[in-house]
Amino acid sequence: MTNIQDKHIDRFLTLFQSFEGALNGEKGHPMHEWRRKAIHRLKDLSFPTRRHEEWKYTPVTKVVSPTYSVNPNSELSEKKLEKFKIDDLNAAVLVFVNGQLRKDLSDLDQLPQGLQLMPMSEALDHPDYQDIVKELYISSTEKTEDPFLAMNAAFSKENMFIYVPANTHVTQALHILHINTPEELPYFYNPQKLIHLGKGSKMVLVESYNDLGEGDTKSEYFNNMQNVIHLKGNAQMDHYKLQRESTRSSHLNNTSIYQDRDSVYSNYQLDLGGLWVRNNLNAYHKGENVTTNFYGAFLGKGNQHMDAHTLVDHAIPHCQSNELYKGILDDKAHGVFNGKVMVHKDAQKTNAFQQNSSLLLSEKAVMDAKPQLEIFADDVKCSHGATIGHLDESSVFFLRTRGINEKRAKEMLQEAFLLEVIENMPNESLRAYASKWIAEKLASE
Amino acid sequence: MLKIKNLKASVDGNQILKGLNLEVKPGEVHAIMGPNGSGKSTLSNVLAGREDYEVEEGSIVEYLGEDLLELDVEERAKKGIFLAFQYPVEIPGVTTATFLKEIINSVREAQGKEALPAPQILKLMREKIKMVDLPQEFLKRSLNEGFSGGEKKRNEMLQMALLEPQLAILDETDSGLDIDAMKVVANVVNELRKQDRSFIIVTHYQRLLNYIVPDFVHVLHNGRIVKSGDKSLALELEDKGYDWVKKEAPQTV
Repeated sequence: MTNIQDKHIDRFLTLFQSFEGALNGEKGHPMHEWRRKAIHRLKDLSFPTRRHEEWKYTPVTKVVSPTYSVNPNSELSEKKLEKFKIDDLNAAVLVFVNGQLRKDLSDLDQLPQGLQLMPMSEALDHPDYQDIVKELYISSTEKTEDPFLAMNAAFSKENMFIYVPANTHVTQALHILHINTPEELPYFYNPQKLIHLGKGSKMVLVESYNDLGEGDTKSEYFNNMQNVIHLKGNAQMDHYKLQRESTRSSHLNNTSIYQDRDSVYSNYQLDLGGLWVRNNLNAYHKGENVTTNFYGAFLGKGNQHMDAHTLVDHAIPHCQSNELYKGILDDKAHGVFNGKVMVHKDAQKTNAFQQNSSLLLSEKAVMDAKPQLEIFADDVKCSHGATIGHLDESSVFFLRTRGINEKRAKEMLQEAFLLEVIENMPNESLRAYASKWIAEKLASE
Repeated sequence: MLKIKNLKASVDGNQILKGLNLEVKPGEVHAIMGPNGSGKSTLSNVLAGREDYEVEEGSIVEYLGEDLLELDVEERAKKGIFLAFQYPVEIPGVTTATFLKEIINSVREAQGKEALPAPQILKLMREKIKMVDLPQEFLKRSLNEGFSGGEKKRNEMLQMALLEPQLAILDETDSGLDIDAMKVVANVVNELRKQDRSFIIVTHYQRLLNYIVPDFVHVLHNGRIVKSGDKSLALELEDKGYDWVKKEAPQTV
């Protein structure tokens, strides 16, 4: 019997033909050969059902069922752009509207000093970069088991290669700013970034996802993004993702991080938007004394579904990982945390810490928390904790006795709950920005 | 200011207050003493509006001419009622400064006054925190988080001083305090005492009343006030213990 999900795969295969037709001149480039390999791979795969262990709590049918348009327009006036910039953040901004790079609105001429950025096709032609691109990329095309990664590679138009040379400290942040606008038909786009940090280098990447639509005009789309990141020895990266997508959209974030010895990767994630949100954050340790930090906060209301899947693959001795995820779920929102920490037999002296705490604010809100520690080494320090609770009534009462109304008292306590995650962000402007977003969402009905 | 008539209240189906009567006039300080389980904390919580306590039909609590029992918790605060908690809660993630700013402006707004700008509030907080003898750094710390028992009670007094209530209820604020912290509590109360501000001091011990001289002392026993007098009653209780009052109390249940 063929899998019932196959018809959805077929629809994307058909969609690829129209996508390909609109590519024009790019079809002769080796880059396009890779797209074809990816779509070829997609033919052999099927979308996961809930019987799949990694997708037990997160059905994908609604995400893969619509017939998406692959060529939404990318109109946006400069005036509307302003409110999506981050106050006081020292950053070069790249603006994407409905997944398409708007060169005219971006700081392409003023990129952070020391940082190289180019389309992947250009990097493929470049003698210094082509091997790096091939190595990072191959995992997501010919070999992948994940249909969403194959789809991302096949449909990726605005892909980027970001390169930081060895011993370069990039002080200015790179801000990838996504803005979505309401379109007649639901649309689909596939941002893709390959990021390479040379030995001893350092950079800050900020991704923000926004929607221009409001109320009934919220945009309907599927953002299927992928990041592949390689940190060479002693490199350091702070990676922020602040997400306020439309509450009619689907947001799938696949980020894989490969870390060489002594490197430090820190991920700070805030998910507020999206009707269906799934984060797959996978860190693979390739050398000793690696540090991986994952911090995530989410707040779901209405029918929002928010899933945080993490993997830290401790394959090497003397490495550290820290994970803190906190979420609040109101109305009928559904949250998922699945944190896998794999400590291989050789990974002695591993230090792994994981904590997940959630607040449920309504009878119908649901949280599925699944810490998953698989430890095959015997000399390690690993701990994990998962708590699910309610807003503390005596704290609400206390605040009310001081003249704060009930709604505001509850907001204050929720802000404080998520602050424990936000306060780990090293950048003050981003901390303030994230807090502002949280306060705005809490105050909204 | 406050008139309580025949107040009956229960928690989890157990009647704790069994017909309590009390009248507090503007400017008066009333001490309410009583053994464990007599209903002291229930009285404080009912006045502040905690929802776990069920007030029975026929109970009357009038505050400044209004039916207090009809008011929400926050409305009571906005109309000038302040409860100093026996066990103040810890709120991680909300700094003391943020919290104080929020409550000052919330109450000012209710009173039709303009919100104070941040620098002025900060100045006010810095000034009043000296009164309770806490270091300025406490303003930056999360509310009550990791504070000692005494520090938490001083923080309660700071909030009282900033909110300038009409009627303050101190629920066993002196329990567990050393003599220095207790003197701080007494000092704040004495400084805030004035003609149109009243206090209900709920306490288990007579000691605090050496520093705050009450106009009336009441003994609460088995959900009722069984004896009232002036400050000398407190000394008599200290001397003879509560058994003496218990024996004198009419057995009506």
